[in-house]
Amino acid sequence: MQKIVNVCTRVEGHGEVKIMLQNDEVSLANFEFNVYRGFEKFLIGKRLLDIPKFVSRICGLCYASQAIASCKTLEDIYNIEISEQSIYLRRLLMTAELIKSHSMNFFFQTLPDLLKIFNISKNTLSPYELIKFNPQLTSNLYDLIKFGNEINEIFGGRSVHLISIVPGGVIYSPSGKLILLSQKYLQKALTIVEWIIEDFIKLFGNQIPPEDFNLPNTICLAKNNHGIYDRYSGSLSLKEDKNLIEFEAQNYTRYFNKEINLRGIDFFFENKKNVIVGPFSRYKIIEKYDFDKINTYLEYFNKSWTNNLLFINFLRLLEIYIESYKCIQILGEPSLNVRKYLPSFKSIKKNEGIGVIEAPRGTLIHNYHINKNNIIDEIKLFIATEFNIPLLNQMITKYAQELFDKTGDIKLVEKEVQMIIRAFDPCISCATH
Amino acid sequence: MKPRFNIISLTSCTGCISTLISLDIFPQFLERIKINYFLFILDSDDIEECEIALVEGCISEETQINLIRKIRKRAKRVFALGTCACFGGILSLSNSKKAEPLSNHIEIDGMIPGCPPPSKFFGNCLINLVGNKDIILSEKNMCANCPLRGSIEINSHIKITKINPNPEEIRLGEENSECFLNNGILCLGPITRDGCEHKCIKMGLPCEGCMGPVSKDFTSNVVNFLSLIELSQELQKYTGIYNRFSKPKINR
Repeated sequence: MQKIVNVCTRVEGHGEVKIMLQNDEVSLANFEFNVYRGFEKFLIGKRLLDIPKFVSRICGLCYASQAIASCKTLEDIYNIEISEQSIYLRRLLMTAELIKSHSMNFFFQTLPDLLKIFNISKNTLSPYELIKFNPQLTSNLYDLIKFGNEINEIFGGRSVHLISIVPGGVIYSPSGKLILLSQKYLQKALTIVEWIIEDFIKLFGNQIPPEDFNLPNTICLAKNNHGIYDRYSGSLSLKEDKNLIEFEAQNYTRYFNKEINLRGIDFFFENKKNVIVGPFSRYKIIEKYDFDKINTYLEYFNKSWTNNLLFINFLRLLEIYIESYKCIQILGEPSLNVRKYLPSFKSIKKNEGIGVIEAPRGTLIHNYHINKNNIIDEIKLFIATEFNIPLLNQMITKYAQELFDKTGDIKLVEKEVQMIIRAFDPCISCATH
Repeated sequence: MKPRFNIISLTSCTGCISTLISLDIFPQFLERIKINYFLFILDSDDIEECEIALVEGCISEETQINLIRKIRKRAKRVFALGTCACFGGILSLSNSKKAEPLSNHIEIDGMIPGCPPPSKFFGNCLINLVGNKDIILSEKNMCANCPLRGSIEINSHIKITKINPNPEEIRLGEENSECFLNNGILCLGPITRDGCEHKCIKMGLPCEGCMGPVSKDFTSNVVNFLSLIELSQELQKYTGIYNRFSKPKINR
């Protein structure tokens, strides 16, 4: 058996594709990581209220999601309800993170693949070539990244590992002037993303995506709020074809669990189908976004798209639109202008807490357990990319087998399978927590 | 000729890279340089020769030692980017993993500290690098320009009972006028390098030391500092203080 290893490019973090060749056939393709940092292990024994600051450092792209999921877990343990203002601010910080994350992935990582797949460019374009290809698109995407960053700086104190996210809420300080500035940023973001969405439709709307990128039958997992797109509040849902199961996060072990210190999540479904999380699941579970304009945009894409991995690129753009719009409303909320003190964390009410949010890449669950002395003795982190890995590997194995069968060119296979990986937008930092 | 850059991540959260890409000046920075190696945004096969290597992340694996030597060999100047590359970073909390700064294995030409490096400071560093200049770090500690600066004298009368204020005690701006140390809250400002614009302090939280020490070793500075003040029993053994961003350098 021959093993071929190739470092993945244009992804977040360091990942490798390993392809196994046996009897001149691809037997397996796997997306793997060499580093494992062990946050679940070294956070044991740390002070509970310090955990959010530590877990933020799991990921420099999903920093707000990690810290907020952690704060929610502590608030569950202490049975604390946070103010409406803090919820607004958390949503705002999560949106700013999503704008940055989705825009970076689209521009630097997947757009060059899309242009090549649909024969719009012959080669994979570098950031320098993308500027020449479409200067307006380039400057628009840089602006989106900048707006996300600025809002994180204004409301979070810095670009990543936000200072203001603490157990009990968000430390609030911006002046009225900064709120107005943020509104302007988001209004511009809305105009820009609308332009990008329309450009995406012009470029790809009439095309038929390659069948190799069609998603196999999967089980979608996402948080939603009574069928409405919501990454902060609500319950979890699992959906397979038309069958929907809604459940509270506390009951997650009925459907999946994980062994600490071992990588990967175990699913307890009879049919052995793989799970997908992220924008695709968020869309499939709610079926319709609560925006007429967005639903009109979706009509440009027929069935050949809506079950295709490349469609996620479009969904990411729609999420930027939806969240920018919602955050403009949040910034106009009168309750945002009142300085509120955070609640007191005096007595522990439960020996276990669970915090769930939807990170840009999908469902993120934190589950902490404390012992009799109120010391944290078990931490489980369920990361979006970890949920997606079995499906990703299933897809790259099939793709590699078929492409190698057709071409016999292993170098080509090594490069091309990475397009599937990038379409998933894996977060290796998170996955190697 | 445009300076060629290699931008590399070791064991990290990618936060320094995402901050770099989010900087206001990033598009102009890209225009003025030639990127040779930057896996986050570019297909690159190997680490080629360059004028400047920016390396984010700590060394946690044996294989990274050879890699960092290769990076050093092929770059005229190497800069440690962020707290992990400069001092070891958050992974220093782990008992079982290594978290070594670059300087444990190669000579570096400068550092851009911070978790993440503050945007303005980071931007200025890049302008200097593109202009073939050095990175200038402040020689002052955080207290020198602290908005809460009072006449704090570090001595054993300072009794520390907390490493952070409780959430309900967090005070902002004008509500907060007294040094954290006077209130029994551990602030690492006295031993931490100035340059972050006191972002945490302005948000009502004490300095946690991510900019690193003004001079010498990170952990020994923390230990020396704590030996001057009275630390509550509970906090004396708390690794969350001592190893938050660096392990002690016992092998050097």
